Amino acid sequence: MNKINYRGATSLLSPEMKIFELIDAHPVLLSVFSRLGITLPFGDISVEQMCRRGGHSPELFLILCRMHIDTSFRPRPSELREDMLLSVVGYLRATHRYYTEYMLPHAGEHLDEILEYCDELSRSMLTKFYSDYVRYIEQHLEEEEQTIFANVESAAAGSRINLASLEVPHSDIDDRTNDIASLIIKCLPEAAPTHLRCAMLSHIYALRDDLRRHYNVEVALLRPLIAQTLNTPKQ
Amino acid sequence: MRRYRTAIIEPASVIGEGIASMLSASGEVEILFCCRSVAEAKAYIRSHDEVELLFVAASLAPQLNGMPLFDNVPMIAIQSTLVESEVLRRFAAVVTTFSTTEELLRTLHETLDRAAEPGYNESHELSERERDVLVLVARGYTNKEIASELNISPHTVISHRKNIVHKTGIRSVAGLTVYAVLNKLITNEQL
Repeated sequence: MNKINYRGATSLLSPEMKIFELIDAHPVLLSVFSRLGITLPFGDISVEQMCRRGGHSPELFLILCRMHIDTSFRPRPSELREDMLLSVVGYLRATHRYYTEYMLPHAGEHLDEILEYCDELSRSMLTKFYSDYVRYIEQHLEEEEQTIFANVESAAAGSRINLASLEVPHSDIDDRTNDIASLIIKCLPEAAPTHLRCAMLSHIYALRDDLRRHYNVEVALLRPLIAQTLNTPKQ
Repeated sequence: MRRYRTAIIEPASVIGEGIASMLSASGEVEILFCCRSVAEAKAYIRSHDEVELLFVAASLAPQLNGMPLFDNVPMIAIQSTLVESEVLRRFAAVVTTFSTTEELLRTLHETLDRAAEPGYNESHELSERERDVLVLVARGYTNKEIASELNISPHTVISHRKNIVHKTGIRSVAGLTVYAVLNKLITNEQL
């Protein structure tokens, strides 16, 4: 028996939709564009036109948009195609770069501004805590790139690989990101201006939400694609 | 059968011992101590860290103010005299000298069930014991070492750690260490 998959508001996204309408309704999708290497301006073109022009699959683009808007969204197996696998890996690699080159350094700058108002001990503890956190995330991302992404690319190129090596490793990044937010909310001295704390918190929460979406793409899109594509015997 | 670890603070021995005997006879309750004053209970509770529930004479309510030792233990009032409703409001439930064993047990179950619900204890201040545990966590002690250092069971340490995480919103040991330092519960040299 087929399960009913309620798709909510994300079912309104379509290949015919104008890019302007899409972004206007869901500004959060701007990061999807940049990770696929799609640049502004878009003029008055549709999703399908934009994807064809950039050599992207409109179906995959819409799946990524839906997963970005609604973290409970799961693509149906019938929507997944073999040629999507490497594109998803490319998207995830770009997401990693977005974290390491923009989000994490930017949050670090916010923290440095706040720490100017803290005593020496608080400054050194929080600086170490944040740098350990960044190192932890970078190691986790590096591990994913070296194991999962590299192996998927090898397998797609025809090499034999062990599918067990493609499991998404567990991490407690979400807990650690929440810890930073809790420390900022509960422990920083009153001297630190509120607007600096709010800027830091907004950034940390944006990072946390994006990391959750990223994990969702790995689990609900990459993993089934790997299973579906690499398990299928080649004719 | 699981027995609920309970204690009683009641100046009138005949009432305190009576309730203790009724609860013990049910087989569901283990009476850890039954004493006559808050000061006595304070000493007892330090050495009986696993108290899950307290029956306390309603007349003793004013003496419980500012006692962090009792913060996390749900309390049932024993009403034997006329007491203002304002006083009774600080207790989770009320029993009287007319309560039957069944009524005592029903109140006990309802109170423990409510206490187990998330967000029951609205205080987000760490209790004295939780602060002790937090400091040892920050110093890198294991649950077993903390239990031995504070003379409590590892089960109780885990329970305190859950409360600490719930109250601080911080899960990692590294985060809890920063929390302890920033809140001046521990100095850098003690780490």
